[in-house]
Amino acid sequence: MKHVFVFDQNKCSACSACMMGCLDQNDTDIAAGDVCFRKTFDTEVPLADGSTYFAYISAACMHCVDAPCITACPVGCLSKDPETGFTVYDNTNCIGCKSCAMACPFGAPRYRTSDGKMVKCDGCNERVKNGMKPACVRACSFGALTCVTEEEYKSGVSGQACNAMIDQMGLRKK
Amino acid sequence: MTELERKIKAKIPGEDTGIEVKRSLCAICSPGHHCGVDCYVKDGTIIRVEGTQDHPYNHGKLCTKGSSLRNYVYREDRIKTPLKRVGERGEGKFEPISWDEAYEIIAENLLKVRTQYGPSSAAFFSGYCKWYRPILHRMAHVFGSVNFATDDSTCVTAKILGDKCTAGCGAGPDMAHANTFLGWNFDGYYSSHLSVAGVQKLKERGGKVIIIDIRDTPAAKNLADIFLKINPGTDGALALGMAKIIIENGWADMDYVEKYTYGFEEYKALVQQYPLDKVAEITGLDPDMIMEATRLYATNGPACTNYSASALVHHINGFNSHRAIVCLSALTGNFDRVGGNIPNPPTYLHKPAGFATREHEFRSNRYPENGPEQIGAERFPVWNALYDEFQAVDLLRQLEEQKPYPVKAIMGFGMNAKMLPETDKLLAAMANNLDFFVDTDLFLTMTAKYADIVLPACSSVERGELKAYQGGYLTFTKPVIEPLYESRSDVDIMCDLARKMDLDDDLLKQGYEACMDWIIDGCGLTVADLKKSDLPVKVPIAKWPAQAGKVLANGFKTPSGKFEFYSNAIAKIDPRLDPLPSYSDSLADQNDPETREKYPFYLCTGARLAYTLHSRIHEVPWLRSLRPDPTVEVHTADAARLGIKDGDWVAMSSPYGEIRMRVKTTGRAKPGILMAIHGYTEANVNELIGRNHVDPYTGFPGFKGMRCNIRKVQEDQ
Repeated sequence: MKHVFVFDQNKCSACSACMMGCLDQNDTDIAAGDVCFRKTFDTEVPLADGSTYFAYISAACMHCVDAPCITACPVGCLSKDPETGFTVYDNTNCIGCKSCAMACPFGAPRYRTSDGKMVKCDGCNERVKNGMKPACVRACSFGALTCVTEEEYKSGVSGQACNAMIDQMGLRKK
Repeated sequence: MTELERKIKAKIPGEDTGIEVKRSLCAICSPGHHCGVDCYVKDGTIIRVEGTQDHPYNHGKLCTKGSSLRNYVYREDRIKTPLKRVGERGEGKFEPISWDEAYEIIAENLLKVRTQYGPSSAAFFSGYCKWYRPILHRMAHVFGSVNFATDDSTCVTAKILGDKCTAGCGAGPDMAHANTFLGWNFDGYYSSHLSVAGVQKLKERGGKVIIIDIRDTPAAKNLADIFLKINPGTDGALALGMAKIIIENGWADMDYVEKYTYGFEEYKALVQQYPLDKVAEITGLDPDMIMEATRLYATNGPACTNYSASALVHHINGFNSHRAIVCLSALTGNFDRVGGNIPNPPTYLHKPAGFATREHEFRSNRYPENGPEQIGAERFPVWNALYDEFQAVDLLRQLEEQKPYPVKAIMGFGMNAKMLPETDKLLAAMANNLDFFVDTDLFLTMTAKYADIVLPACSSVERGELKAYQGGYLTFTKPVIEPLYESRSDVDIMCDLARKMDLDDDLLKQGYEACMDWIIDGCGLTVADLKKSDLPVKVPIAKWPAQAGKVLANGFKTPSGKFEFYSNAIAKIDPRLDPLPSYSDSLADQNDPETREKYPFYLCTGARLAYTLHSRIHEVPWLRSLRPDPTVEVHTADAARLGIKDGDWVAMSSPYGEIRMRVKTTGRAKPGILMAIHGYTEANVNELIGRNHVDPYTGFPGFKGMRCNIRKVQEDQ
C-alpha cells in the first residue's frame, strides 16, 4: 500500500519533536557532525503590508513520485519501494559524489561525514511495512505531520493538503 | 541485509528481534505532566522511546523534550558514583567514594549541625524532578527542621497563593463546555502539548479563542480569533480595564456577584481608575481590540480562562495581576460553573485524579513543635502564613546575615541555585557559610559542584514510583533498565539516610513503598495491586470529571466563605499590602531617570520554547543541536538601530551583572523587549536579576520584567 506524508502548517509550531523522533529512530550521530533527516523551520516572512507572517514548517524527503535523485545516482543506490512508494536506498555502492543531493530540490539526501556515504529519510520504510507510523509522525503531538495511505489521501486529506500548500504560498488574505 | 537484520535496524519490537517494549514515564518536566512512555529495550539498553498509546493521560503523545528521553537518560556525563569533594567548593574536584562512606559522612555532618546549632539550621531542598518531595518534606520535619523548600519558591506558588486569597482554591478551564477560551499567556505548543487538542476541539465546534501574550506564538497564529499582543507586565491593568467595561456595559453576572462574592464595591471603585484610553496606553493595545475581546469574553459565555504557572507571577506586580484576572471569572459568573473554571483539587503531587490522599498529612503531621520561624517568614508573611515551605528567595539573605539564626547545612536533591536571583552570590554565601552541603543529582551541575558530597540519582526509567493521573488513575511504575552505574533512586537514598541517622519515624525507615501505601490508604488499591499492571489503574473511589458547583454550594475556602475581590487574608496577615488586586508598574523599583537611561530595555527571561526547560535539558545533545548557543531575542528594529546582526554576540547588563548571549533578531515581541532563554550555566540570565526585585506579596522574583541593556561584543571578548 502506497503511503503519503501530509503536512498541515496550521497545526505546526516547529516544536521539533519530529526531529527528536527521527534522531531517536535513526541513531544519527550529532556529535560526529551528522544532521537530522528532518528539519523544522521557525521563519518570519515580511509581508507586503508591513506585517510579519510567522511560518512553522517541518520538512524532510518529499518522496517524490518522479524522484530526481533516483535518476541522478550514477551507481543506482536509490529506488522506489514498490510496496510503500517511499524513496529508499542501499548505499553499499555509494561513491559519495553527492549527485543525489544536487538533483534534489529540497536538499533531502545528506552526506554522512563518518563514512563518506549518502543517507536520507526513507520514510521509516521498515516501520511502515510493519504497520507502524514513521518516527517523526509518531512524535508529532499536534496532528501537523501525518502519514496516510494513498487511498486515504485521495479520499479527503488531499483537500487539507491543498489548503496547506495554498497557505504556504501566502495567497490567502490574513 | 536479511529481513531480520532490516527489522533489527528499524527497531521493530518482537521475539525475533529481541526488542521488548517496557513501560515507564518521562520525568523531564514538571509532575503536572509526566507522560507515559514505551521504552524499546534490547539487551538491557533502551534503543528508542515513544509515547504509550494506551496511556490514559497522554494517549501516545510526547513533547519535544520527552521525545529526547533516551538522549537525556544516556547523557555521557551522568554521575557514576558517590563523590567526595577534594578541591575548593565550586571547583568541581571530587573523588569517588562508596555509598557506605557517603552515608557515614552525611549522617555525621547533619547530626553535628543539629546538635551544634539546632535542627532548623539544616535546610532540606528539593529541585527537579520533584517526585520524591513528600518523602524529603517529611524527612526534614522528622529530622527536626522547619526548613523545607523547593523550586516552588519561584514556580507556580504565587499563582496558587493568589487563588487561595481570592477563591480559596485554584480552578481549571472546562474546555469541553466553554464557548470562549480566554487564553491568557496560553502557549500549550511550548509548555503543555496535551492542552492544544482541547482548544482545537473548541474551535472545531465553533468556540472562540482569545490569546493574550507579549509575543507572537504558535497559539496566536494557529488558534486565536483575537490576539492581544500586550506590553509585558501590564496584564493586571488590562484585567482591571476589562472589569470596568464589563460592569459598565451590564455584562457582569450581578446575581452571582451578590450571592457568591465579597468586596465588590471596593473592587468596583478600583476598576473605575482604569478607563479604556488609559488601559490602552499602559498595555499598548488598540482600544477597539480590548473592547472586542472583552465583549467576546463577557457575552459569549460560558467562558473559561487559562491561568499560567509563571508567565505573569514572574513580575513584581504578578500576584495582583493574577488575582485581577481570576476576578474576571467571578465577575462574569464563570467560576465553578460549567464551561467556566472548575476547582479540581490535586490528588497527589499536583495531579488531580478525583480522590483524596493523605499526602498533606504525610508531609506535615510531623512538623516540629517549638521550632523557629521558617526562613523568609519575616520578609514574606503572606507566603509564610499560607504555604508549608520556606521561601528560598530569602535564603541568600539569611546565609549572609545569619539572622534570625544561621543556616549551616543543606541537604539538597536536584538543588539548583540558578533558579534564584544573583546566583553567584548565593553560591558564594553557601560556600562561605555552610558547614556541610550534600546534593543528589544525575549530573554534576553548577550547584552540585559546591557540595561536599554528591550522590548519583537514577532517572525515572531506572526506578519505580507512584503517580496519579487525570481521569481517576494511579500507577506504580517498574524500572525498564537497571540503574546506570552506581546510581540509586532518590527515595531509597532518603530512607537509607533516615535509617542511618536513626530518625524517629518507622514509616520512613520502612521505605518508599510503605510510605506510598500510607498515603493512598483508603483508595481501594495498594502499591502491590498497582504493580500488577503496566498501565495506570482506575481507582475505585475516584470521581471524575470534577463537577461544577460544589464550591458555590458549600462555600469558598476563604475567611468570608465567598469569592473575595477584597482579600481578608491579606488584610489580616500584612497590613502593608493592598487587599485589592491593584495595579502597579512592573519596573516600579527601577524607574528613576538614571536607571531608565542606562538600562533602556525590558528584559523578559524564561519565555518558553518547546525544546528548553529551565536548566534541565540545555546539555542534552539532540535538544542542544536545535539552538546551540545561549540566545537572546532582539527586535529587528532595535538590532538595526544598534548595528547588531542576527548571530552576533552581545553583552547584556543590569545593575547586578553582565552575561554574553547570541542574538536572534525577530519581530515576535515588541521593540524594546529582550527575550532571553534562562538556565544556561555559561550565560545565567538570573545573574541580572536583583535579589530585592521581588513581588512583595510572595517574594517571587521579577524574572520576566527587569531593566537591561545590550551592546555588541566580539565573540572572543
